[in-house]
Amino acid sequence: MRIWQALLALVVATGLARPAGADSTQGITDTTITIGNLGPFSGSASVFTPLNYGPEAYLRYINSQGGVNGRKFVTVFADSSCNEAKGIAAAKKLVSEDKVFMIMGNPCSGVAMAIKPMLVQEGVPWMGSSANPKISTPASPGIFHAVYPGSEAGRAMATFALSKPGTTKFALAMHSDDWAHGYCDAATDYIKAHGGEIVATTVMEHGATDGTAQALQIKASGAQAVMGCLYQPELVVLLRELQKYQVGAITVGALGADFNQVVAAFPNRDWLKQHFFQPYQFQAKIGTGPLKKFHDIFVKYLTKDELPKDGVPTNFYYYGVPVAIVAVEAFRRAGPHPTRESWEKAIESLKDFDTGVLADTETFGPDNHVGVHKMYAVGLDAQGQETVYKAWGDPLPNAE
Amino acid sequence: MMLLSLLPQLVVSGISTGMLYALIALSMTVVYRATTVVNFGHGDMVAAGAYASFVFGVGFGLPFLVAMALALAVLFLGGFAVQRFLMQPIIAAPHLSLAMMALAVGYTLRGGMRLEWGNETINLPRPYPQDVYMLGDVVITTDDLVICGFVILLLAALFVLLQVTPLGKVIQATFQSQRGAALVGINVPAFHAAMWGGGAALGAIGGIMLAMITPLTPDLGQWTLVQGFAAMTLGGFGSLGGAVAGGILLGVTEKLLGFYVNTMFIEITGYLVPIIVLLLRPQGLFGRRTIVRV
Repeated sequence: MRIWQALLALVVATGLARPAGADSTQGITDTTITIGNLGPFSGSASVFTPLNYGPEAYLRYINSQGGVNGRKFVTVFADSSCNEAKGIAAAKKLVSEDKVFMIMGNPCSGVAMAIKPMLVQEGVPWMGSSANPKISTPASPGIFHAVYPGSEAGRAMATFALSKPGTTKFALAMHSDDWAHGYCDAATDYIKAHGGEIVATTVMEHGATDGTAQALQIKASGAQAVMGCLYQPELVVLLRELQKYQVGAITVGALGADFNQVVAAFPNRDWLKQHFFQPYQFQAKIGTGPLKKFHDIFVKYLTKDELPKDGVPTNFYYYGVPVAIVAVEAFRRAGPHPTRESWEKAIESLKDFDTGVLADTETFGPDNHVGVHKMYAVGLDAQGQETVYKAWGDPLPNAE
Repeated sequence: MMLLSLLPQLVVSGISTGMLYALIALSMTVVYRATTVVNFGHGDMVAAGAYASFVFGVGFGLPFLVAMALALAVLFLGGFAVQRFLMQPIIAAPHLSLAMMALAVGYTLRGGMRLEWGNETINLPRPYPQDVYMLGDVVITTDDLVICGFVILLLAALFVLLQVTPLGKVIQATFQSQRGAALVGINVPAFHAAMWGGGAALGAIGGIMLAMITPLTPDLGQWTLVQGFAAMTLGGFGSLGGAVAGGILLGVTEKLLGFYVNTMFIEITGYLVPIIVLLLRPQGLFGRRTIVRV
């Protein structure tokens, strides 16, 4: 009888530890680890695919170094088009047919939220770069943010703007979706908690080609800083209108835009000096210092089609990489016989782990599945040089 | 007080934006008047025109006007070919089939543009310096002047073409009665193809102008299609002058609603306008009520 009770207890305990139906070594063989790389490889959000290619480049680099504990990474790409229905179908295929160990990449918040229940149910880990903080907070089994969720970036946007002396009046320019709220809600909370006020809230939808009404509302409100929770094309539209109507407020954009591409797409670089900033995720300038190693990895291990046309990797390539660095480190720590449980425990054991990329070190725990928090800001200084700032007027030393 | 003082600025900006809507609505109306087909893929042709100009201008380093002329030629040939080889063979099919074909052509074009330029935002360089002029408190940019001036010139040229030249009389006659045109020896299928080509080229001009003032992405056409339809509906389906007036009215309306009511209205104005117009005045502001005797 005691044996039966012990067996029953074991079955119950196993069932509690892993969701029903999960195979904790799925995707792992003696020589390979299969990873699902889910991203918007088609559709209007394909501007975010560098967030998928960055980690892929790192996995290819690790493979070239012999892999981890004798196993090499095999990537199965799947297209979500940043569409929830397509994303669910693609994720189901990765899990059920391709038998991946985990899902990586996944820059689209809507898709991430849509597939999360299925992944938790199946016990499939997720480590992605989408912005919605609700994906990883509160902590769910196997779901980790090794890069900054929108809430952290939103707070960083507000922190930087508030560090400009005398700045108390803020305007929001945002899309109406969850992604934008992920940034702007956190920024709003932080602003209000630190004595600032929101004097205008304007909406600009995806695909908008004009921002006259928004720019004039911001001007009329007397805002001193704009929180631009917008994707790249719309952020450029807003900046053009703010310039046109000579709005003096600074604009701090969310991470839906690539700083380098915004500067390149904006016709008047001079105006952007001390007018446009973004939270900055990295410990050095793109392609320099510790980030030079990653520039070389991208150039060497990505194909011509996976790199930008001019061959120079931009912000999003670097921003995708920590996902792969943390995942690989967890495989190392999980030892020669990794399971999903041991891999997840390995991540939760990471304390002050330096990816060599991000401004902050990675620290996780059983109740904390968001690894990084501290960010800098980036903008063009008075000479037009790209500069990383700790706060307004306080450039980061040696950010070369 | 400041809110009212911004009214002239909103109207001027609305007219400038509305001119672009007018151009796109006009290009759609040309196709509709000639073939009674609503081209649901027209927005993507608008975007394709901008990309063609980008390829010739930036890719091959040609001067802006040469690149623009080549882009218009490519889009004319493209529009001509779409009608000749894809629409004409099913011209007798129900309207739904024609609309689906047009939609499919648009999506295919967009897919091709995304394949090549999907992960980047392009800035189409202007061929002129971007200066700002003040008319009292109203800000006017070179963009505003170029867009308005170019569209007005184009409309004048179209007016002369349609009203004064023998070719224009042929076009007008065929607009009015295709059976009659065929009876007097006009090649109506070739006319249809030429009008599709003309519509695509006109739309391409709109796309190029738009891409000079806004980032160029493969989805540029989505937004413009909605605004083009709204302007057509407001002005009166099939009315060339109505398309122009509708575009300008739409541009001004969305600025005023966006500023004075809520910026959410900017997006939905393009949808609200057709609903209201179709309910209250189905023929649009400048269209004529038609009675079909059966």
